[in-house]
Formats: sequence, C-alpha cells, structure tokens
Amino acid sequence: MLQYIANHIADIIIVALLLAAVIGIIAGMARKKAKGQSISCGCGCSECPSASLCHPGKGDKE
Amino acid sequence: MPTKIALAGNPNSGKTTLFNALTGSNQYVGNWPGVTIEKKEGRLRSDTHRDVTIVDLPGIYSLSPYTLEEVVARDYLTRENPDAIINIVDGSNLERNLYLTTQLAELGIPMVVAVNMMDVVEKNGDKINLDKLSEKLGCPVVGISALKRSGITDAAEKAVELANKKVPMIPRHRFSDEIEQALASIEELLQDKVDEKHRRWTAIKVFERDIKVMERMAFDAALKDRIEAIIGKCETELDDDAESIITNERYLYIASIIKDCYKRRSNVKMTASDKIDRIVTNRWLALPIFVLVMFCVYFISVTTIGTWVTDWTNDVLFGEIIPPAVESFLSSIGTADWLQSLILDGIIGGVGAVLGFVPQMLVLFLFLAILEDCGYMARVAFIMDRIFRKFGLSGKSFIPMLIGSGCGVPGIMASRTIENDRDRRMTITVTTFIPCGAKLPIIALISGALFGGAWWVAPSAYFAGIIAIICSGIILKKTRLFSGDPAPFVMELPPYHRPVAGNVLRSMWERAWSFIRKAGTVILLCTIVIWFASNFGIVNGRFIMVEDLDDGFLAKLGSLIAPIFAPLGWGFWEAAVATLTGLVAKESVVGTLGVLYGFAEVAEDGQEIWGLLATSFTALSAYSFLLFNLLCAPCFAAIGAIRREMNSGKWTLFAIGYQTLFAYVIALCIYQLGSLFAGNGFGIGTVVAILAVVFFLYLLFRPYNERNLKAATVRVNA
Repeated sequence: MLQYIANHIADIIIVALLLAAVIGIIAGMARKKAKGQSISCGCGCSECPSASLCHPGKGDKE
Repeated sequence: MPTKIALAGNPNSGKTTLFNALTGSNQYVGNWPGVTIEKKEGRLRSDTHRDVTIVDLPGIYSLSPYTLEEVVARDYLTRENPDAIINIVDGSNLERNLYLTTQLAELGIPMVVAVNMMDVVEKNGDKINLDKLSEKLGCPVVGISALKRSGITDAAEKAVELANKKVPMIPRHRFSDEIEQALASIEELLQDKVDEKHRRWTAIKVFERDIKVMERMAFDAALKDRIEAIIGKCETELDDDAESIITNERYLYIASIIKDCYKRRSNVKMTASDKIDRIVTNRWLALPIFVLVMFCVYFISVTTIGTWVTDWTNDVLFGEIIPPAVESFLSSIGTADWLQSLILDGIIGGVGAVLGFVPQMLVLFLFLAILEDCGYMARVAFIMDRIFRKFGLSGKSFIPMLIGSGCGVPGIMASRTIENDRDRRMTITVTTFIPCGAKLPIIALISGALFGGAWWVAPSAYFAGIIAIICSGIILKKTRLFSGDPAPFVMELPPYHRPVAGNVLRSMWERAWSFIRKAGTVILLCTIVIWFASNFGIVNGRFIMVEDLDDGFLAKLGSLIAPIFAPLGWGFWEAAVATLTGLVAKESVVGTLGVLYGFAEVAEDGQEIWGLLATSFTALSAYSFLLFNLLCAPCFAAIGAIRREMNSGKWTLFAIGYQTLFAYVIALCIYQLGSLFAGNGFGIGTVVAILAVVFFLYLLFRPYNERNLKAATVRVNA
C-alpha cells in the first residue's frame, strides 16, 4: 500500500488539488445560490445596473 | 442611531455619480433612464461623520405612482423616513428638475438642494443665483459638479447638519387660496390618521386622488364622501380636475423661481451636443450611422485589433508556452497519462480555448464602454424608439437590450421598468437575441476558424440579433398575447462628453475580469465533466478510458440528439453536445469544442489552431451553427432571470420555446436555402425551409387584427 502511494504520489497530490478546486468551486456556487445570487451570471456586480436586486441594500463594491 | 440621507432627483441628473463620490462605491452609472431600479445604500466617506448612510434612489420626475421607479422612491421617502434628503438637480435643466423639488419639499423631511453640473451651466454662460434659490425654496442650496467632485462634501455636510438638528422642511410654496382652503380641510380630516410631518404631502396627494395613497389611507365611505365634496367644490371653482390644478400651480411657482434665480445667456447658440445630434439623430442618417458604428465596433474587436492579440494568446500563450511547459512538468514528476490528458486536453484545452478570446472581449467592452460613457448609447435608445414603435414596442424596450450586450441577466432584469405587462413579457422574450459578452467567443471562433476572419461575420452576428428582435416584435405584436399600442417613451438625451478614461477602463476590466472568473469556475467544471464523459465509456462490456472519443459516453449521448440538428447542417455529436453545454454558460460551447477537438494538442503539433474543427464544418453549416447558438435559449442564469421576471412557469416556457424554435427555423433556412443556391441539390429539407420562409413572411406581413387591438385597448383601460 505504502509502495503504491509512493509510486503515485504525484498523481495523488494533483488529483487532491483538482478535487479541492472542484469542491471549492461547487461550495462557492452553492453559497451564492443560497444567498439568492446568480451562479453563472456573466456580469461583474459593480458593472451591473441590477446588482442591487441580487444584493439588496448594499452599495459598496462587491 | 445611524443617520440616513436619501439621494433623490430626476433620471440622469447624476445621483449615482454623486453616490459613488460620497461613498467610494463603484455602482454602475448609466447614461439612460432606468439604470437604478432599486435603492442602493453606502456609507458616507467622512472623517467626522462615521455613521451616515447614503441611499441612492431611482431617478424620478415626480412623486406620482406611475412608474416602478416612482413607487420605489416614494415608498422609501414616505415609509422609511430618512433623516434628510439631498435633492440633486440638473442645473442645465433647472426648470424641469424643480418640479420634483416642489414635491419633495412637501414631505417635511429636512432637505438640501444640490444643483449639479454647475460646470456645464457656467460653460454655457448661464447663471443660477443659488442664494436666491435657497431663499425661494426654503432650504440650503449648494452648487456641485458630481463628475468633477466639486462641492459634494459641502452638500453632504449640510445634509448631515440638518439631519442632526431634525428641523422639518417647511415648504415656502403656497397654492392659491381656493386650493389652500381645500388642503386645510383635508388636513383637518387627516389629523388622527397621519403624523404632522407628512400631513401636508398626504393632503395634497388625497386632493390629487392618488390611487396608492387613497388605498393606504382606507377611508370609510362617509369620510370619502366628505373629501370628495371638498375636492369637487375646488374643481368647480377652478374649472379643472384636481391633478391638473396642482400641476399648473406648481409650474406657475417654478416659473416665478426661474424668473428670479436663473439667467440664460441672451444669445443662445446651439451647443456642440445639439450640433452632433442634428446629424446623429437625424431622421434619415441616424440608422445608417448606428449600423456603421456597430459594424466598426464588431469588426475592429473581432477581426482586427482583437484578433492580433487573440492570435498571440492562442498560438503562443496557449499553444507554445503553457501546454509544453505543463506537459514537461507533469512528465518530469511522473504523472499518469490519463491525468496529463485531463489537465492538457481537458482543462487547458477547454478553459484555454475560452480565455484565448479575452483580448477580443477587452476590445469589444472598451468600445461599448466608450459609446455608453460619451452619451451615444442613449441616442441609440432614442433612434430605436422610432423603429420599435412601428411594431408596437417603445425605446424603453431597447434599454434592456443595450444592457444585455454585456450580459443577458441584468438586461432581462432591467425590463421590470416597463410598466405594460405585454411589452415587458415581449421584451424579456427577445432581449437575449442581442449577443452578450459570453457569445463573443462563439462569434470569434466561427469568424476566425471557419471564415478565415472574414470582415462581415462578426458584425452580422450583432445585426442578426437586432433583425431577430424586430421580426419577433412584428410577429408577436400581431398575436392576441402581445397586441396593443406602445407605451409612451420619454427620455432626455444627456449632453455628449469626452469619456472618462477611469470609468471606461474600469468598466472594461470589470466585465473582462468577470468573464475570466467564470472561466475559472463554471467553465472549468464544465470542461472537467466534458473530458470525463468523452474519454470514458463502456467498450465490450467494460468501463474503460476509450482510445477513440466516438466510444465515450458523451459521443453516445450526443449521437442521440445530433439527428435533431442534421437539417441545420451540423448533425454530428460534437456540435450537438457543444450546443447543449451552452445552456450552462455560452462560453462552454467554445470550451467543449476545445476539449473535443484537442485545442491544446493541435497547437502543440504545430497545426493551425482549430484546424480539426474547420474540417467538420462547411461555411454554411458553420454559419447555421453560429446563428442557432446566438438565438436559441440562453444560459441557465438567464433562464432563471426570465423565470423571476416573468413570474410564471408558462411564460418562461413560452420564451425559451419561442427563442429555440426561432433559432432552429432561421438556422434551417440559412443552411437549406444556402445549400440550394450553392448547387448542393434539392431535398426534403429544402421543401421544409421554403415552407418555413413562406409562413414566416405571412406572419411578418399579415395585417394587424383589429379585434386583438380592441381587446388589448379594453384590457389596458380596465
């Protein structure tokens, strides 16, 4: 088992990094969705005239 | 207790510019009405006042409840009781702006009038006597330039001072004796119902028979009769209806203020803006100029300057630098082949393919920001009003489309300022026909890889969107669902000014950064899923990593839906799957093609980037693919926005169904009739396309149904 891990340590690290990135992205999207924000809206909030609808009551730069 | 100061004023008077200057926010500043459709809050940047909140309200012309903006602003002012109001007034349009000032003064809330654009007033040679204006209005008046940030601290300081002192605003304006008598009687009747601060304003609104105020007050029948008797008596005496009586008196008062406080330069010359507008908004020249401008914008962005940088990004950065470097690193640490393939073909291939188009996007966003900032885009809404009105929509419907050229989501949301339900639904349905930023990579890919950067492809994508909107407008307006006269559209054209470099660059970067961020999140996820689904499959009953992508799961799934697109000329699974992934985000179309056609690998082999893709399409099928992907159902984010704004599952389905059907018919006709003219034979597809064209022309040119128009008029009146 240890030998297998030693042989594939590069693969394990890279897969772990990729998984962390994917989980981070999905968690971020879930957080946005829970807040009622659009998860794939293509506009930057400060460039969006409707930003106040996603972030009611906030004027500060997102 | 935090102090709340509301910013109120006419559309385009500079409220959001002042808000940004006072709070250090970066809120979007648009050069057309309806940009601010909800209130925004920010903290005042001040060393002395730490707990002051500035509230930016939507631009309004009056406190009547006719538009969504007026309702939002009025509800805030009358129900949430801000501690003070800064009424921002456009000094170059003083007379019209003071109409709202007279109404705000009646609210009883401490108020400061900030006369904006004083630099323009001075440049025009006009003079405003601010002291006299203050004396006439009964509140402090400060001259400011929000853009140049002069006088804004003074205005804010005065507002905070008034808010802290809590001295109610007592309007100097008195109506004629008959009206004052009537108002006094109504105020007496309201004594137990409304607190003293708001009593005069409520009495005036009751006198005007304001529907919302009457609803809120919920008078009993006896009280209603007494109020009606008071109003009726005054109307008989002054021989006019109550609302007009109040409006006329306000204008008489404003005229007296202007006479005493405002001196216009005696020899009024045409301003530079007026001179430019004589040409740019000319009845005959306006449209050709608009076409020329947008042609240049898309041509330069996609075909010239943008392409030079994009070629470097694709050929060198994502061709010669990143893939070989990553590959040699992965090989040196002994990474497995499948993992190398995932990173090189999947992630770099997919995300790199999308990021490769960032330079073109930067150039496009730069041009759009310049056009917005200098004031031309506001003229476009005015120009389009003439055209849209012919098929029953107003220029107000073009504003969501202008916003939608950045991203469809805020474009769809902006449609909520359209009061008429039928017009709003129709605007939502057609807004995403305008190519948003996310569709630019598709346009650039097809233009560059399949048409060799032909000059007409990119601009034609924009104009195809405009034509689709106009044709849809004509067709839908003739149906019972959408018939009716267009609502009036009033907008003032802001004077042209030199674009502010900071604003333009910030706007360009914000949009591009958002695109890059999306490539690193949604698109990245999408490319990983696409890579796994295309590289794994079941062969001879075993789940394995396939050697030929045609054996993968994605190929099997794509092959099921590909026949649907065969009549459009691209009935192969790669194109079908790419179109489907466009629902996640439109950039994914390019990302998917990058993964499936080995964007990174091809470059590494020294072949022309996208060379393999070019062998799968003909010119006709490529253009049909482009048009279908531009016009069909938008991404899920935009579909979600449609669902929210339509507030109906049925209407959402209608919008998505209409867009997809429309896109299918257009792509079908382009491919089938194009093939016929190119001498590729006559088949069943050609017959269907000819029938579709005939039916389309019938829908376009059939007369308006008088019965539908009458029914719509009755609905509106009811």
